[in-house]
Amino acid sequence: MTLSLPLISRCLSVFSRHYFKAPIQASAILLGIILAVTLLIGVKATNENAKQSYGAATELLSQRASFYLSNKDQTSLDESAYFALRRAGIPALAVIEGIASDPQGRSWKVTGSDIIAAVSIKPTSNTQTATSSSYAPFKSIPLERLLNGHAAVMMSASVVDKVNALAKGPLVLNDIPLELIAVEENLGLGNNMLADISFAQQLLQMPDQLSYIAVFFQQQTQTLDIDSQKNIVINALEDAGLDSRQIIIDRQDDGESLSALTNSFHLNLDAMSMLAFVVGLFIAYNGVRYSLMKRQKLFIQLLQMGIGRHNLLTALVLEIVLLVVIGSLVGFMMGLQLSQWLQPMVAITLAQIYGAKLLPGLWQWQWFAQGLGLTLFASLAACWPLLIQLSRVPLAQGGQRQAQLIPLENRFKRQAFAACIILGITAVLFSITTQYKLSLLLLGLVTVAIPLLLPMTINVGVKLLLPLMPKGIWHYVVAETKEIIAPLSLAMMAILLALCANISMNTLVGSFEVTLKQWLDTRLHADLYIKPNPDVIPEINAWLQADPKITAIYQQWTTKAKLEIKAHSSVPINLVSRDIYSIKHTTAFKSPTTRSGLFWQQFQQEQTVLISEPLSIKYQLNVGDQIKIDKLHDTLSPTSTTNQTEKTQEFIISGIYFDYGNPIGEVIISPSVWQQYALPLHPISLAVNYQGDSEELQQQLITQQGLSSAHMYSQKGIKDEAIKMFTKTFSITVVLNSLTLLVATIGLFSACIMLTQARLAPLARLYALGVSRTQLRVMVTSQMMLIVLFTCLLALPMGAILGYLLINKVTLQAFGWTIAMLWDWPAYGRIVAIAMISCLVAVALPLYWQTRKPLISSLQQESL
Amino acid sequence: MNRLRSIIFCGLALCGVSLCTSGCQPQPQKNGQINQQDNDISMGKLLAVDDTLLQYHQVSKDNRIEFPKDHLPHEGYRIEWWYITANLITSEGESIGIQWTQFRSALSPPDNLAISPKSIWATNQMFMAHAALTTKTKHYSAEKFSRSHPEFAHVCADPFSIYLENWRWQSKTQQPFPATLSVVEPEFAYQLELNSNAQFQLQGDQGFSVKSADAQVASHYYSQPYIEVTGTITREGKTVSVSGDAWLDREWSSQLLTQSQQGWDWFSIRLNQQQTLMIFRLRGQQPSDNFYSARLMLADGTGRNINSAINPSDIDMQPTLWHSQNNTRYPTAWKIDIHSENIHITTQALNPNSEMPLSTTYWEGPIKINGSHTGEGYMELTGY
Repeated sequence: MTLSLPLISRCLSVFSRHYFKAPIQASAILLGIILAVTLLIGVKATNENAKQSYGAATELLSQRASFYLSNKDQTSLDESAYFALRRAGIPALAVIEGIASDPQGRSWKVTGSDIIAAVSIKPTSNTQTATSSSYAPFKSIPLERLLNGHAAVMMSASVVDKVNALAKGPLVLNDIPLELIAVEENLGLGNNMLADISFAQQLLQMPDQLSYIAVFFQQQTQTLDIDSQKNIVINALEDAGLDSRQIIIDRQDDGESLSALTNSFHLNLDAMSMLAFVVGLFIAYNGVRYSLMKRQKLFIQLLQMGIGRHNLLTALVLEIVLLVVIGSLVGFMMGLQLSQWLQPMVAITLAQIYGAKLLPGLWQWQWFAQGLGLTLFASLAACWPLLIQLSRVPLAQGGQRQAQLIPLENRFKRQAFAACIILGITAVLFSITTQYKLSLLLLGLVTVAIPLLLPMTINVGVKLLLPLMPKGIWHYVVAETKEIIAPLSLAMMAILLALCANISMNTLVGSFEVTLKQWLDTRLHADLYIKPNPDVIPEINAWLQADPKITAIYQQWTTKAKLEIKAHSSVPINLVSRDIYSIKHTTAFKSPTTRSGLFWQQFQQEQTVLISEPLSIKYQLNVGDQIKIDKLHDTLSPTSTTNQTEKTQEFIISGIYFDYGNPIGEVIISPSVWQQYALPLHPISLAVNYQGDSEELQQQLITQQGLSSAHMYSQKGIKDEAIKMFTKTFSITVVLNSLTLLVATIGLFSACIMLTQARLAPLARLYALGVSRTQLRVMVTSQMMLIVLFTCLLALPMGAILGYLLINKVTLQAFGWTIAMLWDWPAYGRIVAIAMISCLVAVALPLYWQTRKPLISSLQQESL
Repeated sequence: MNRLRSIIFCGLALCGVSLCTSGCQPQPQKNGQINQQDNDISMGKLLAVDDTLLQYHQVSKDNRIEFPKDHLPHEGYRIEWWYITANLITSEGESIGIQWTQFRSALSPPDNLAISPKSIWATNQMFMAHAALTTKTKHYSAEKFSRSHPEFAHVCADPFSIYLENWRWQSKTQQPFPATLSVVEPEFAYQLELNSNAQFQLQGDQGFSVKSADAQVASHYYSQPYIEVTGTITREGKTVSVSGDAWLDREWSSQLLTQSQQGWDWFSIRLNQQQTLMIFRLRGQQPSDNFYSARLMLADGTGRNINSAINPSDIDMQPTLWHSQNNTRYPTAWKIDIHSENIHITTQALNPNSEMPLSTTYWEGPIKINGSHTGEGYMELTGY
């Protein structure tokens, strides 16, 4: 049979008339697609944007660096290194970063740079787009107000407004009132506060010091190999009489390390968006199915008129394609809008946990193509069985209602059986996976299995309930509930998924919060924590020693190091040491659970180390394993990170401790080992116990030692900050979760409307038989509530299972955080209540419409 | 006066400054005509008078030029430059042109925004430097920017030196000569010994050089047209020795062009061993608005000034060939006549593709002279 275009277009015009008559059907389909694509694109845009930002990170107002120079001791870098590079003609930028505080005690991150150098450096590669076309900033920055060394900082215009609103007056940092200079958004300052180095060194009290130097090799130099490029820098430093071994030269890694760090975060977001996408598709599918069902008679009439089955089928496929295209287009635009809204949230999370900067929003048409393709594929795949089934309808069936091909109960049983098999397989696989990506995949399978259990659960529930019902109308109500399971099952599946996701996320977030608080209680023992500029540590230390009211001083040393994993690969870690009292009393051990005197004796004297839980999980390191760390090698040879031939010492892992919220692996060594290996002498931070109010001590440090309050944290301050950061970290997931629930509720709403409309005739018949309107309303409502209740009942254990897997598999494997699972009954109650209420509203509205209609028109629905 | 091009640079910087001092809003247009002109490239416009202009130091006939003091920066003036061009010949007989310029620009008037004494980084002075090496077939150019900072971009008095990163003019005494001039870039480099025993030539009226017929704008301007050069140049890794003659121009002002002036054509020419000629044309909106000025300089330190304000028909400058590079047409060959001095010459560019594709684009390169005199020189074309 050949296709006939005129016949297809005739079919399409008939369908379009149908949708004009029944707009609810078309809108249900569109709504589903739009919501699905919106969430998919919203999260995708947010994620892609963040990932691009890592790769395209540039210095403020400038270009992408080729290398970064910093001080080996992690203290600040003397500016003479910058002079040496400039005198050698190497394109370089001096950068200084630090924290300053306002009178309210809020901390502000301030960046300073040699602004003329920043704006005049040429792009380091051709691929860089001319977004910051060279010299353009010359015209839009008031250089004369920045370079003269007075208190002025630049910010994007929108940020200036926010800061003004927050500061309620001129912004004062470290007791210096600042002039805020608003610059155009397209200069890419983002949320940063940028000053010229002439003022930044004064503000941050770092005279003659830099935080780091960015080096920008031009194309001609970039053709050289990495070592030659490094040598150019080293020679320039040596020529100026500087000791280049004291300076670390890091290559720009195109954001690779940041991408690796944030991988799991983005994967989680992706998984959430896929879930939301699926929930949206449920709604769309439900809509398509309903509209096909309603048009069955129409199709048969069309077939009887001589429109071939192929033509009809093609027209239906075209109709779906058209709806998907329209829905995707709207969804795409809404998704971009959503991402605008999500991005600040993601930016905060990324900045807080990973220190990543995000660039202003970008988007690509490919995302639309991907969203459209995925939706089209999913919709057609979902509707295909329906279409095939339809194409086989015997012509003679006429206007009769389509016979149920498979008895419902059998279908429910098959679905439940399939679900049980999937759950069984995942249960087995879960016990053997260690990769969080696999776990996430298995989690996906579980989420597919859960909704399949639903029809059977409701069916069984109703069956069990039936004998308990009094004969008569109530028996009828419950018995009829079974009949509406099938038409409502899809919407209920969507609701079930959303509820499960919500319950599991709530469990995760709630559990993590409690775990984090307990961990912080163990971790923090001092009254005041001080982390000043590294250069002033010895001075501060001496001053603190002399104060009789100080009962204890705790010290922490930190340096960046590399853990050698296999022969040729190494991972960046933080190498940490604390005074032995702090290590003993503030380390929350995962294993061993009890520690003898011998344990500590070995730790102090021998070559044993403690490693953080994330490090242990990510690289499968256990107590008793041996590890090598690049900075811990024979003391006889000079420290040099470049020389790989030196023999590095092997250390035995003697303990694993909990470490939350730290994306980088950590290894603790005893202070005696620290000193033995000639690591940076001075601690990087201090903690003190104080007899009296720690506020008083803070004031003394500010007035007598010139410290900024931004460099001091009270124990309570740290706890508050950590909890705040934690809340922000999860805010994005919580928002996505709520969005998913919202989508599912909308789905339920549209399903209820369609179902109630379909049941107008049977209800009218009951009314004609003498059942009062009030009884009818109670009846319909209680049927719906019954189904929702059963759904919620299933959602609780399933949500708990998902939560368990999220906590004990995905989060543990992805982040390396052990979390004790906690039940939050009020939260579950709240979710059940939300589901019931949304369902009530969804039922009440169509019921209200129905009761306003004359009986006869309802009865006529039957013959339509 | 040539190095007008620096005006462009200063113009750029100052434009930015003035735009932003008025709150980063486009400045209101006084009338539609000015608006129309926005699309035209006008050097004068780049140097548009703003509110702060009069707060800078102003040029005056009463200012006497004194050495070595005036070799050093005049920070109260808005713009200033040290500018060297050289016509060289390699040991194999190849003609080479060299250019090096360091521009200084004040970001604010001297007493307007006080410089914080708390930081050595604090300044209102900014430097830009241009370097070029031209052969018959190749033209290399490069550009650098920096704030004034004694460690890497500065002018020092004793010994006299001017530097921006690794480009440096370094003398051994307070006098500018003898000295070395070195520029190192990835693609080209030069290392030149400069020596001169001739007197400095004060342009215009004892170094007060007017730039318009009505003498509304002017600069302080002196030159050293007699500099002997030996040294080496490096192109893409290959080094050869060179020798020849160089020319220094020093100029400073707070306003060099009127608003309506469009650009300039400037020449430094060695007519013979005893005579050199500096000549320029400032283009107005109409050919009749053009302003011409020249100085014929003798090796003994004396010279004669000619300009179109005093003698309108004495100087005649006509382009004879237009050459297109990167969609811009430049007059690369000229016929120049100064009737009172019996100078009737034509000029040809060594390399017509000598455009400087830098933050401001202009043409600058070595030229050959024929006609009543035979020699070499340099030409600069701006505002095209």
